[in-house]
Amino acid sequence: MPSLEINGQSIEVETGSNVLQAAEQLDIHVPRYCYHPGLSVAGSCRMCLVEIEKMPKLAISCHIQAQDGMKVSTESEKVKQARKSMLEFLLVNHPLDCPVCDQSGECDLQNYYMEVGQYDSRFLENKIKRRKAVPIGPHVILDQERCILCTRCTRFCNEISQSNELGVFNRGNRSVIDLAPAKTLDNPYSGNVIDICPVGALTEREFRFQCRVWYLSTQESICNGCSRGCNISIHYNTSLSYKAGGKRVQRLKPRLNPHVNRWWMCDEGRFGYEFIDHNRIESPQLRAVQGKLQTSDWEQVLQEVSTGLKTTLENFGPEGIGVIASPQLSNEELYLIRKIFAESMGVQEIGTRNPWEKEGFEDDFLIRGDKNPNSRGAEELGLNSDVKAILEKAASGKIKILYIFQHNFESPEAQEMLGQAGYVIFQGTNWNKTVEVSNAVLPGATYAEKDGTFTNFEGRLQRFQQALLPLSESKSDIEILSTLARKLGYPVTYLDAEEIFREWWGRTYQELEEFGELLNGQKR
Amino acid sequence: MSSPFVFTSENQERFQQILARYPNKRAAMLPTLHLAHEQQGHITPAVEEVVAELLEVPLVDVHEVLTFYTLYFRQPMGRHHLRLCMSISCWLRGSDRIQVHLKNKLGVKSGAITQDGSFSWEAVPDCLGACDMAPMMQVDEDYHGPLTPERVDQILEATAQGQEITTAPPPDNTKTEALPIQLISEHFGNSQARELEWYRKQGGYEGAQKALEMQPKEIVDRVTHANLRGLGGAGFPTGRKWSFVPQDTGKTIYLTANADESEPGTFKDRYLMEWDPHLLLEGIIICAYAVGIHTAYIYIRGEYLRAAQILQKAIEEAYREGVLGERVLGKDFQLDVHLHRGAGAYICGEETGLLESLEGKKGWPRLKPPFPAVVGLFGCPTVINNVETLSQLPKILLKGAEWFAGIACSHHGGTRLFALSGCVKRPGVYELPLGTSLRELIYEHGGGVLGDKQLKAVIPGGASAAILTEKDLDVSLDFDSLMKAGSMLGSGAVIVMDEDVCMVRACQNIMRFFAHESCGQCTPCREGTGWVYQILTRIAEGAGTPEDIDNLAELADNMSGTSICALSDGAAMSFRSYVKKFRSEFEYHILHKRCDVEEKKTTVNA
Repeated sequence: MPSLEINGQSIEVETGSNVLQAAEQLDIHVPRYCYHPGLSVAGSCRMCLVEIEKMPKLAISCHIQAQDGMKVSTESEKVKQARKSMLEFLLVNHPLDCPVCDQSGECDLQNYYMEVGQYDSRFLENKIKRRKAVPIGPHVILDQERCILCTRCTRFCNEISQSNELGVFNRGNRSVIDLAPAKTLDNPYSGNVIDICPVGALTEREFRFQCRVWYLSTQESICNGCSRGCNISIHYNTSLSYKAGGKRVQRLKPRLNPHVNRWWMCDEGRFGYEFIDHNRIESPQLRAVQGKLQTSDWEQVLQEVSTGLKTTLENFGPEGIGVIASPQLSNEELYLIRKIFAESMGVQEIGTRNPWEKEGFEDDFLIRGDKNPNSRGAEELGLNSDVKAILEKAASGKIKILYIFQHNFESPEAQEMLGQAGYVIFQGTNWNKTVEVSNAVLPGATYAEKDGTFTNFEGRLQRFQQALLPLSESKSDIEILSTLARKLGYPVTYLDAEEIFREWWGRTYQELEEFGELLNGQKR
Repeated sequence: MSSPFVFTSENQERFQQILARYPNKRAAMLPTLHLAHEQQGHITPAVEEVVAELLEVPLVDVHEVLTFYTLYFRQPMGRHHLRLCMSISCWLRGSDRIQVHLKNKLGVKSGAITQDGSFSWEAVPDCLGACDMAPMMQVDEDYHGPLTPERVDQILEATAQGQEITTAPPPDNTKTEALPIQLISEHFGNSQARELEWYRKQGGYEGAQKALEMQPKEIVDRVTHANLRGLGGAGFPTGRKWSFVPQDTGKTIYLTANADESEPGTFKDRYLMEWDPHLLLEGIIICAYAVGIHTAYIYIRGEYLRAAQILQKAIEEAYREGVLGERVLGKDFQLDVHLHRGAGAYICGEETGLLESLEGKKGWPRLKPPFPAVVGLFGCPTVINNVETLSQLPKILLKGAEWFAGIACSHHGGTRLFALSGCVKRPGVYELPLGTSLRELIYEHGGGVLGDKQLKAVIPGGASAAILTEKDLDVSLDFDSLMKAGSMLGSGAVIVMDEDVCMVRACQNIMRFFAHESCGQCTPCREGTGWVYQILTRIAEGAGTPEDIDNLAELADNMSGTSICALSDGAAMSFRSYVKKFRSEFEYHILHKRCDVEEKKTTVNA
């Protein structure tokens, strides 16, 4: 293990580390454009030049290996001059159209220039004109003038998505990033090139001109799009959401988890946030006898639901009640459902697995066919049984009252059974086919509006955090269930998800490891 | 939509032969595109798709290669295509005038086709490597020069009518009495030397014979003791370069002969390949045997079509006669030599740019380390030697290291070829001992400055070298002396400028070349070369500002030592020297918005 000195501080690093990584271990950030830890080393932007004692020339820290006894400076005058001149060179043909650029505020050209810039331009020539605002795929817009040719995007398409849409064409200062002939940037991971583009050359079509990035707040979360459980950040804005037609969530970005998704996420997950602000059930609903659903209030709906459950329990015992929980729910919610319905009421019929839900698209990278974030969690909690039998019992009248969480039963077979069921309670986030046949509707919160954990397909327990308040009158499922439990006379006193987690997992969220924890066969 | 493309059955066969030369399909990229180009005259999107499929590479890779190199046309061109060299040596001899004439004569601008479809032409910023016939142009495969407007008319007429163009034989300046010793230039001007039989009668392949009887280690030692240095430009000791090659990796070791001669002013390797192809092959055999190599590629620049044909013929003859192949010269040593044509990119003369290109990619130089000796072609240990360096080997083997080392007037061994061009009476290739003075080369061998004018400046080692002035004429032409003089021996291309040359324009010409040839990979070179060219153009056109001069000096600093390869350093070394040594001329341009040299010329002529 080589030990070296960077800016006077000593550090020991793994053999094979480069100087840039060694500096990072000391919290020294070396400016860079082309370097990305998830891609091969290009060494072309020349921003990460550092001075190393006994070396005649500056060296690029992304390429040079850390060696024993090296003395490195990342902030010497020579280094700063080189950095300043690289920035000057990069701006030679850059349009400086920051006022209309979406990258403004999170642009590494801006950021580094603020640190070491030329400030007074001495470029008197005409800039090279190139193509601007070119849609190159369903999600990405290309601006060749803003591009600094770091080639992160082309390397991503060659090495990670392996779809080879983008290349660097021509040469010298006529070089441009563009699509290969007759190609479209439509691979399932295309959005990642937006994240890794250090400047405004590749921006997101969906996010374009929606919100300045400095108006965004960020919360750490887990993508609920499939059972991979990619670590993400939710970028949201609640103060200006009227400008976006009420849309609070502006975009999702992947968050590094070396064990799960590294730096990446798929487009399906990235752009699958619309349901959070769209088509939501905003208030409790009750169906008049043989009539339509009508907006009600929490007191009335919970009263009707608890009375229904209590009466059924008294008259028919726990066999009269069926519960269809959802692998979309968190471990904490499922734990609470199990506690209330199975342990307190004695209900036997609790399932989560929807037999009509087809396996979705799956690949050998991130995307899983199971589009639920917590199927494994449900399984670990013993709630993974098939729900068809429960629906059949509801249809045949054995189950008198059916409590369904989140599921959208679209198939004609399920619809028919639901139609024959006695009393259906729906608790979930969005209007769907199940809601249409329900008697009582309890509007729940989306994953962006609550705390909790999901267990991904390989058994990794990961925490997601609340970014937003539950929309309108909707409430977190834990709050709904706790209130209901109290109405039913069970001593449920949980204040929040973490209290349940502590009871279930024995630790606080803070104590959960940063990148999640593998269950390793522990059942609770 | 372009019409579909299929190779003719003959070309399908040739494609199979191309594939057989390389360990993977991708490496066949450039030759396959050349083949399609030959069949159809230009590369359409349909061709790109076919090539991608045949070579099993993504389409984007084909498109990158296609747009990187300049020799592939992407739309139909005239029946005959003319390339007028606009680089420094031709410019010094009046290529501007020829350009105007050509444009008026053909009635279309550079890059366009005449109405009858018979001609297309382009003025190319890169040097075509025939500065001895400056100003010159390439007509299809052949080089023609020196051009005058009348000569251009004759060439166009003859070409249009399909007649043979009678070209005066190249000036045979290489046989002057004054040349004391000729190790590698003795066959220049003698087309018999291209024949294997004749070459052998003159003692050819005896150096290789001798080598094959020695221990490889002995050869490496001998070359080291001979003090042979790389004659492509960098001047690295050849024996040491070979000794870096690890012999215990279990991987194939490759040799690539660097014949991508493109440094403006340089045309010596073309002479060697056109006049003495077997000398190069003999050198290749010696190097290959010494380092344990069984596959060699000659990477020749795409423009050198004639040289490529001559070399190819020599290779084929050598295979037929058992000089190459399973048993080289009847000995238990196998060696294959393949010719690989580039496609128009100066950067492929940089050794790792060359390797990338040979592997079928655009010529983006690699990050170092690792160096090619360890990780080179196809990831294997590789020796890269210049054509001239390899051509020196036979005599070293025959006559010994001490003899070779003793030839030079300095402590580097042997002779080298100096390509003399520009404002000089007898441009040409002169073989002289290393250490000969610049004055002797120009005045004794080159006959002095054209028109007996005053000498103003000399580039001693190709366009990348810092310019020297009259007072530097006694510098001896060897690696260390020139470095001490603030320049470099480089490729041995000596370009003479007389008193009537505007140094702002000369510098602009050279920076146009570097801006055109920068590969675009790394920031300081991509943006720096283009920017500096813009500044120089502005000064030349009378729109300079007083700050420009200091800015240029600072840009030279910023472009030095910060890039992946040496192109940027060379460009910076070059323009920095013009600004420093001819500062007053730059200032005059900026202050008076006109050129004092031009003015003086006009005054004298009036």
